[in-house]
Amino acid sequence: MPLDVIMPALGMAQDTGLIVAWHKHPGEAVAVGDVLFEVETDKATMEVEAQGDGFLTGVAAEAGQEVPVGQVIAQISDSAEAPAPAPAPDAKPYAIPEGDTIIMPTLGMAQDSGLLVRWLKAPGDAVQADDPLFEVETDKSTVEVAAGQDGFLAATLADEGEDVPVGQIIAIISAEKPANPVTRSAAQGSVAPKVVEKPSQAPPRASVAKPEHPAPIAPGGRILASPKARRLALEQGLDLARLVAAGHAQPFHASDIDTLRAMPVASAQTTAAAPARRLTAEIAQDGFAAFADWAAQEAGISDSDALLAGLAAASLGQGDATINVQAFERDRLFVGDGTQATAQQVPEGQPDLVLRDLRFTAITALCLGPEDQPVLTLTRSGTGYAVTFECAADQMSAPRAIAVLSAFAGRMQQPLRHLL
Amino acid sequence: MENGPNTNTDEYLRIYAQMARIRTFEDNANQLYLSAKMPGLTHMYSGQEAVAVGICEALRTTDKVTSTHRGHGHCVAKGANFKEMFCELLGKEEGYCRGKGGSMHIADQSNGNLGANAIVGGSMGIATGAAFSAKLLGTDDVTVCFFGDGATAQGLLYEVMNMAALWKLPVIYACENNGYSEYTKTAEIAAGSITARAEAFGIEAHTVDGQDVLAVNALSERLVARARRGEGPFFIELMTYRYHGHHVGDINREYYRTKDEEKHWRDDRDPITLFARHLMSEGIATAEDLDAIRAGIKDEASAAVAYALAAKYPDVSEVDMHVYAA
Amino acid sequence: MREITLSQAVNEALAEEMRRDPTVFIIGEDVAEAGTPFKVLSGLVEEFGTHRVVDTPIAEPGFTGIAVGAAMTGTRPVVDLMFGDFLFLIMDQLCNQAAKTHYMSGGKLNVPLVLRTNLGATRRSAAQHSQSLHALVAHIPGLKVALPSSAYEAKGLMKTAIRDNNPVVIFEDKLMYQEKAPVPEGEFLIPFGVANVLREGHDITLIGTSSMVQVCAKAADILAKDGISAEVIDPRTIVPLDEAALVKSAKKTSRVIVVDEGHQSFGVTSEIASRINEKAFYHLDAPALRMGAMDVPVPFSPALEDITVPTPEGVAEAARKLVRGEMIHAA
Repeated sequence: MPLDVIMPALGMAQDTGLIVAWHKHPGEAVAVGDVLFEVETDKATMEVEAQGDGFLTGVAAEAGQEVPVGQVIAQISDSAEAPAPAPAPDAKPYAIPEGDTIIMPTLGMAQDSGLLVRWLKAPGDAVQADDPLFEVETDKSTVEVAAGQDGFLAATLADEGEDVPVGQIIAIISAEKPANPVTRSAAQGSVAPKVVEKPSQAPPRASVAKPEHPAPIAPGGRILASPKARRLALEQGLDLARLVAAGHAQPFHASDIDTLRAMPVASAQTTAAAPARRLTAEIAQDGFAAFADWAAQEAGISDSDALLAGLAAASLGQGDATINVQAFERDRLFVGDGTQATAQQVPEGQPDLVLRDLRFTAITALCLGPEDQPVLTLTRSGTGYAVTFECAADQMSAPRAIAVLSAFAGRMQQPLRHLL
Repeated sequence: MENGPNTNTDEYLRIYAQMARIRTFEDNANQLYLSAKMPGLTHMYSGQEAVAVGICEALRTTDKVTSTHRGHGHCVAKGANFKEMFCELLGKEEGYCRGKGGSMHIADQSNGNLGANAIVGGSMGIATGAAFSAKLLGTDDVTVCFFGDGATAQGLLYEVMNMAALWKLPVIYACENNGYSEYTKTAEIAAGSITARAEAFGIEAHTVDGQDVLAVNALSERLVARARRGEGPFFIELMTYRYHGHHVGDINREYYRTKDEEKHWRDDRDPITLFARHLMSEGIATAEDLDAIRAGIKDEASAAVAYALAAKYPDVSEVDMHVYAA
Repeated sequence: MREITLSQAVNEALAEEMRRDPTVFIIGEDVAEAGTPFKVLSGLVEEFGTHRVVDTPIAEPGFTGIAVGAAMTGTRPVVDLMFGDFLFLIMDQLCNQAAKTHYMSGGKLNVPLVLRTNLGATRRSAAQHSQSLHALVAHIPGLKVALPSSAYEAKGLMKTAIRDNNPVVIFEDKLMYQEKAPVPEGEFLIPFGVANVLREGHDITLIGTSSMVQVCAKAADILAKDGISAEVIDPRTIVPLDEAALVKSAKKTSRVIVVDEGHQSFGVTSEIASRINEKAFYHLDAPALRMGAMDVPVPFSPALEDITVPTPEGVAEAARKLVRGEMIHAA
């Protein structure tokens, strides 16, 4: 059996060796220990000895040639007749042109392969980095992928209609115009990258399917929330942006999710669509008119709006409250503290409650729907009044709405009780 | 050539065969490495065979040795098989260490080889500890600590020799002085006398010709027997020579030693040639006998190399196996 | 139950194991008649003799190397390294030899060795006698690392360490040697890799090791007064680490502080916090916080030394911030 003559590994970090000279001719007899050839590495020149007796045959590398270590460069055979020459040093199973590689890109989150719909350039075509090169279909959409670099389409390595694993090389773009552009299918086997692999950097052109739920981004940018808070919000289908809109301080934690869950679904901008609360109360006897007269005579308080606002503020039961009293051609703001009979008029403020005084109109019943603030509406009803309370569900809980309306109706019936 | 205590023909032929086995193993390992079939780095023992064989032939299987990065010779001399050794050199599953150690870490505990060590001087504590164990457990096993002249520069040697002398441990420190500490002449790294360092601890020290296998063996037989009786520790400096560079690939050596010097050792001081001459002059063996021994070993090595090249690598699932013992 | 000191607990563990197994021996500096500077080993040489309680010269790499070789050849050495700081002297023997032998030999050789040493600052011993270097060895595959936090733990973990077939480094807190704790009479072992939940809670998890377990327990007491319920866990061994128990607690309380006396950077706190971040991320309501020793050599002056290590008050304050949802280390 012939003995292989191999380019030896000599240095610690040596990939190739340069054959300086052959000391034996093809066909010449050699014995163990004879110097066969001289090799130069980065460190030194060394004589390589024959490891067996026989004849030098099949010399496949010449002096001056750089050969990878471990490669067979000749054989020592039993006879001087040259057997079939050793395989050419650089024989490759496929002649794939040199160039930048284009891979099947990863487009989806959980995508293993992409369907090559069609090539938008033909082998041999010149391409610009921005030119769409091919079209890919994933589970979500069809996308045009750009070449990513200038050059010539030297090889297409997948056929239209083929499903190609992501990361697999599907094209080569060369700097020089290729003499013989290659066309192959992916089924013929993947190509190991020979040069630095460049995934296509160009963004897909077609719009990818839009996510169904937009990410909760606050106007100021990213919402700060703990991982647990985010997970809970996601699991419960809650939108953290509503906490931002409602003015809650960031970062959000799990406890804020309780708050968020208690918030009605609608935000301020979509009040009209929010569930509404509407409650009505009947006041059989008008206690208020007598009270207003008594207040004017005994205490010199002639502003009945201030009295109404005082009653309304007290009914809210929250300390200082701003009441917007609206009547025909009147629109006034008062602040009451809930303990005084009257409220003080103020030039401006954010009302907590609107009190609409329709006692002197023909309207007897209404249903206006929620507004920016909860609204109490006074209308005439028989010898007494009707009081309608309307608000959005997220403005006030049901128990509180009941409490507010009950308190106000009671005070309208017996205002003096309020003073005591 | 000194006459050993054992003049039995079989024993002499065995000594010859063991040295030839080491040389053949290294020639094959060198070829595997040069032909890029063997990964990593490796250090050839060729030239020092009389040291490992002369000492190990004086040991029992249960006696322990610790070895070095230049350790193939100790491993073969202590009884290891070619097949498992070549498999280990190539990182194969059937290697002595299932491919996890490689050339620099072959351990063969079934023959008392506690392993090669890639830290220069790293095994001196281990050897001394093995001797400590033997004393505590009441066995009469002896441990030989192989190390090179370069390792005499490590402080650990002096810590453990101090304790070994204090506790009279059955350990023999075998310093293979092959003249070079990696790429530097020993004279440039060792001040004074190497044996005097051991003598400073009251350890009996000897210097012996490391190319004369019978001299090495005779001294070893005496010291091993005495160590078994509790008269240790001992220190031996064995004067020897490595034919190859520090490692395979250390080819440009003329800045630290001449080709004439190498030729002198190979031609005039080769331990195998010297011993062959002795065997023939004493009429113990003919040249043909010795050729037949070498040919048999060569065939065995070729078969082991072919086996190892074809053997399978360990399964990747083994990567985190043996980090911890059960 | 009777109470004994940590020192007595270690002594009992060694004596019991040496009676049980004649291959166990102790080796180190001043371990025999002196019984070590901390007097942990007093009385052992009288019972077991100088051949099993072996005084060595002051040569840490040497006697550690001897122990490695002895462990490979049929005995079970317990190496006494007088101060944890001396680990730097024996790194080759411990990390290149003991830790790798089983692996490099393909499972053929074992190194059943125990390295007893200590950790802990605030003993006014300055930078070379005060370090807590357990992270250093925990980084090396092949070594196991045990960190007893009381006399009970010290005894149970030591007995397990001696019976383990791997090199085990066991760090005792040198400030706790005279601290008493209930330790049952008679034989018991504490398995490696099983964390101990000292106290259950639902607002925050305090993971403490060794000396810092007591710090966490005291912090939990402080927090209880504020109405914060803290869970306190002691991993007992950091290699192997009972990751499942730590992650489970992190998921339950959603807040974690890891407290360890090693330097904070690249240390045990970093490793555990990182694993919790990986395994319990979506359950965390706050970042898993690290509290280690300051990244400075341990200073001598009491005024400086005391501020380098975590305290119960410091841990409690950090816990309050996490529970209140304050932004921690916001950019």
